[in-house]
Amino acid sequence: MSYAYLFKYIIIGDTGVGKSCLLLQFTDKRFQPVHDLTIGVEFGARMITIDSKQIKLQIWDTAGQEAFRSITRSYYRGAAGALLVYDITRRETFNHLTTWLDDARQHSNSNMVIMLIGNKSDLESRREVKKEEGEAFAREHGLVFMETSAKTAANVEEAFINTAKEIYEKIQEGVFDINNEANGIKIGPQHSPTNPSLPGATGSSGSQGGGCC
Amino acid sequence: MAFLEVVEKISFFDLKTNIDNGNIADLFKEDCKINVTSSGNNHLVLGDSSGQVHLVTRSWSVHSFRAYELCTDHLYQLKNSSLLVTIGQDEPGVNPLIKIWDTNRLDKNGTPHCFRVTRALPGNRPVQVSALCVHENLQLMALGFVDGSLMLYRGDITRERSSKQKLLRDASSTVTGLAFKSTSSNIYLFLATDSSVLVYNITHKDKEERIHLDNIGCAKRCCVLAESIQESHFMVGRNDAVYCYTTDGRGPCYAIDGEKVMLEWFRSYLIIISKTNRPTAVNSVSNGNQSSGLQGDSITVLDIHNKFIVFSATMSRIKAVLNEFGSFYLIDEENRVYHLDEKDLQSKLSLLFKKNLYDIAIRIAKSQQYDTEGLVDIFKQYGDHLCNKGDYTGAIEQYIKTIGKLEPSYVIRKFLDSQHIEKLTMYLQALHKERQATEDHTTLLLNCYTKLSNTLGQNEGLKEFILSKDSDLSYDVDVAIKVCRQGSPSEALMLAKRHEKHDWYIKLLIEDHQKYCEVLEYISSLNFENAETYMRKYGNILIEKVPNESTQFLKKLCTNYKPRDSMIISENALTGNYDLPHHAEPEDFIHLFLNNSERLVEFLEHVIEEGSILTTPVYNTLLEHYLHVWTNSQNDRTKWSQKILKLLQNPDIKYDKAQALVVCHMHSFGEGILYLYEEQKLYQQILRHHITKNDMNSILACCRRFGNQEPNLWVQALWSCVRDTPNPPQALLNEILTVIAKERLLSPQLVIDALGSENTDITVGHIKSYIMNELEQEQGKTAEITGLIQNYRKDTDKLKKQLETLKSGAIVIQGSRCAACHHPLELPTIHFLCQHSYHQHCFQSFCDEDQGCPACQPENKNLLELLKAREHNRDLNETFHSQLEKAHDGYSVAAEYFGRGVFNSYKDITNKAVKKLIEKKDEEEISRTLIPKVEKELRDYGYGAEARLRQSEKKPSQIIPPISEGKLRQQETSRYGSSLKSNTNFDKKKDVYTSNIPGTLNPFESDYDPSNNPFENEQEESEDDTNPFRDNYECDKNLNPFS
Ligand SMILES: Nc1nc2c(ncn2[C@@H]2O[C@H](COP(=O)(O)OP(=O)(O)O)[C@@H](O)[C@H]2O)c(=O)[nH]1
Ligand SMILES: [Mg+2]
Repeated sequence: MSYAYLFKYIIIGDTGVGKSCLLLQFTDKRFQPVHDLTIGVEFGARMITIDSKQIKLQIWDTAGQEAFRSITRSYYRGAAGALLVYDITRRETFNHLTTWLDDARQHSNSNMVIMLIGNKSDLESRREVKKEEGEAFAREHGLVFMETSAKTAANVEEAFINTAKEIYEKIQEGVFDINNEANGIKIGPQHSPTNPSLPGATGSSGSQGGGCC
Repeated sequence: MAFLEVVEKISFFDLKTNIDNGNIADLFKEDCKINVTSSGNNHLVLGDSSGQVHLVTRSWSVHSFRAYELCTDHLYQLKNSSLLVTIGQDEPGVNPLIKIWDTNRLDKNGTPHCFRVTRALPGNRPVQVSALCVHENLQLMALGFVDGSLMLYRGDITRERSSKQKLLRDASSTVTGLAFKSTSSNIYLFLATDSSVLVYNITHKDKEERIHLDNIGCAKRCCVLAESIQESHFMVGRNDAVYCYTTDGRGPCYAIDGEKVMLEWFRSYLIIISKTNRPTAVNSVSNGNQSSGLQGDSITVLDIHNKFIVFSATMSRIKAVLNEFGSFYLIDEENRVYHLDEKDLQSKLSLLFKKNLYDIAIRIAKSQQYDTEGLVDIFKQYGDHLCNKGDYTGAIEQYIKTIGKLEPSYVIRKFLDSQHIEKLTMYLQALHKERQATEDHTTLLLNCYTKLSNTLGQNEGLKEFILSKDSDLSYDVDVAIKVCRQGSPSEALMLAKRHEKHDWYIKLLIEDHQKYCEVLEYISSLNFENAETYMRKYGNILIEKVPNESTQFLKKLCTNYKPRDSMIISENALTGNYDLPHHAEPEDFIHLFLNNSERLVEFLEHVIEEGSILTTPVYNTLLEHYLHVWTNSQNDRTKWSQKILKLLQNPDIKYDKAQALVVCHMHSFGEGILYLYEEQKLYQQILRHHITKNDMNSILACCRRFGNQEPNLWVQALWSCVRDTPNPPQALLNEILTVIAKERLLSPQLVIDALGSENTDITVGHIKSYIMNELEQEQGKTAEITGLIQNYRKDTDKLKKQLETLKSGAIVIQGSRCAACHHPLELPTIHFLCQHSYHQHCFQSFCDEDQGCPACQPENKNLLELLKAREHNRDLNETFHSQLEKAHDGYSVAAEYFGRGVFNSYKDITNKAVKKLIEKKDEEEISRTLIPKVEKELRDYGYGAEARLRQSEKKPSQIIPPISEGKLRQQETSRYGSSLKSNTNFDKKKDVYTSNIPGTLNPFESDYDPSNNPFENEQEESEDDTNPFRDNYECDKNLNPFS
């Protein structure tokens, strides 16, 4: 499927906050409760539509462990958006947000859209971090905030799509240099109309691309 | 790293050493060493530092040829073609030469055919080639150079002239790896250098597009294209991890530590050779030739699909990894060949089971298209394992996957403990979803739901279950309803409704919920057939509980039924076929109303109003219930009676009249009875009815109305006056008597007799005028008859005299004219005693037999024949007896014979008796005491005596014989028809008598013909006035019991 834009995302946050589950929910619409530890960076892709434009989202799901921090860092550059995830049932994951945010700001391009995600909202009974705290943190650092549940899929679509919308707006505003691929944005191949009869020109297998490797 | 440590011990490959028996090692003695390797088209290709190329077959035989004078630097063996591309040096200096060989076409020296030899010169500078890649389509070839240049050759690579070269990249960092990637529409060329990763879209000639992928590169041989995965990645090994690239940029990465030496792709495995300082693990198996101090390489095989390491070992330095013959081989520094033999799936799985790595086992089994039985077995083992670990939720998840193969009882038994009820519920739910549930499972599941909602307050489960679509869960609804009914009736109801188990739904509503109106509403939403069926089935109770609503519904059902909520215009109507309105047979529902006449009446009325033609029994029933209602109603009896009459009078309504009569009688519904009587012309019964009611006016009215059809009514009216009315009004009596007299319905004797017999209140005064009238008439008649007698007597005397004259006196024949021709007589003549004379010729011509007077002959003949006949009849005694025996009605036979004069010998007795009787009768005084006597004598003697006797035997107290009331009553209770029949029989009998008797016997018929008088011959005997037949005639008329 050809696309107008390709946006690259990165999902960051402590181990076990549900990053891989969020990705799986978004790309495959399913929840797999027992998920292997991510070794290195996992990868998923899906098509969405914004402003009647096809946009391909390519998402890197990173490993939260300190051991992989350097690998993760190499992915910041080249990402247009980041989902910074904490687990509302574990306060320490919330406490680590500043570290993650510093890291991200330091290694990414300055225009990267960061969305703060409080995941596992289905586990209300075990909540340790109030929603207001998340909102306050987001306000303080200029992030968009949302509570999600990878299990029930609540707000998962919204989290990814809102981020995409924000990037799209920034493109419209001309904030992003879309020709610099290091920004994590790519203009789709349909801009070169040499082979319109061949959709699928990018060779991507569409929204199913993720999770396989 | 945790990941690696967990799976490090797993080995899906067996490392086999020395599989080539040292063949390869033998090739490289002295200084010569393997420079470069490739494989494809069923052989391994090794290029050495002396310029030789060795082709190694599967059986490890080697074919070598010299490709270059100095050395072979690069090799590329196409996978599915015998083409081999080599790059090497023929002369010292920097002068790389491309040679393209066909390894299938060997010349006599054993050297393959060489298509072309081309110098590889990017931009006219002599540079060393650092990477070579050929596209399998044989149209594309790419060369990377040490100075960073990239050359692309398009066109048939075997022909120098058609192959055009193009420099895609100018000097920069050294090219370390190249790979072509074809998608359905594009061809890409991945390029790795020391310090970057790039991809070129080379689909279109001269429109090559360069995409920069990364700013970090890799060492030589440390990149590979992973072709078997969905979106084939270009994998680049770096010290911290293996990074994957798509044509869009960075993809995933696998964090595998270590300085990479080589990456190779085999099926879905990534083989990573990296440097290690650890002692080699293969020491034990490698013939002990290894000096442990030497640095070695570690080999890691990563299953990219399932994301774990399936083999890892440390061994001496690896020179080559070769993927051929469906397996892969390693060649180490000392030219030893190792074979990594992949274990079969079963051994892999059992390995994983041993380590309880079930989820990995499952993933592997699935990716290898393991058969379902095998998979189920894994799920089961996994489930058991999780169970033992206490992870019941996890276990259930696994067990759920076994549904369809594993016997459910195995799982259920494990979870029967009440602690696990939630899990058991999950399993059972899944069982239903998979359509594997039996009745028992349904029962169990529903019980689980009940328990859950009782103990944990969770009742969504059951609701969900009930509301689930058919396609989601399959279960025996009947069982489910049955189970639900015990615990949660409302859910049972929901179930029944959802699954359109009408029967259950109705049953539950009635039995468990007592919601009768809802039942009706429900039924009325069903289609006709169902509605009818269920109404039949449950109508009883519905009528009992909600009579009004049920009746309304039945009305609809039996007239023009349409399911409630159904479309106004049915589909059929839209397509042009009008479907007939359905209606049930009202009869089928009548029994429901048995205890509720009013409803039944309402129901049937409606049905009839709607124009249904019902059967006779239905009408009968309606009538019966009408009457019932009528009897019970207090206020509006007239309304009901009108209705009943309307029903009875309706010509369209074919009710059974006889039965109607019976029920009318039962309910003493006078109007109806009368109507029916009239309808059937049972005027006597009408009268009788009035008589029983003692309604004199009605009696009279009835007589007046039907008197002309049935004169006898008057007689009955009289009797009723006499017997039943204590004090009959004079006017009534008078009228009756007048009519009786006028119509001569009853002889005065009988009238008087009757009047006198019973009712003492009737005095002579009451009947004075009648008697006077009668007597006058009687006298008139007597006079008339006396006159007649005298006439007859005169005639007789005359005849006697004539006879005398004929016998004794002389007869003067004075006739002067011929009786035949009326001309004056002329001789010869013939004279007869009868005073007729003829000319002889006239006589002769006139008469054939000269026996008697031709003029008198016809008359005489008649008389003679009559006499003869009488004679003949007298001899019939024998026949009479036999006929009498056979006869069904002996009386009529006897009467007939009597008429023929069979009993003439008894004539004298009869005559005497009658004479006496007549004398008595002639007396003016008629005393009451006398009447019975006369009566008795009348009965005992004379013509018809026998009949009377028989009658009186039967009903001694009755004088007027017509059908007794008692008899009628009797019959009413059974079937009226029979009484009617007996009535007609009766009439017939009467006919027989009256027609037979006077016809032959009565000599006093008005057209009396003396010549016919049968008594002519007996004149002397019957000379006196008291001709018994005259009286007989008279008596007969009055006494005839059948008149
Ligand atoms: N209840 C609940 N569990 C979640 C949710 N997201 C993830 N998990 C669980 O959290 C654990 C870690 O998830 P994972 O995606 O591997 O976290 P990651 O390390 O951030 O990738 C897994 O066991 C998931 O089952 C959620 O939204 N709700
Ligand atoms: Mg993860």
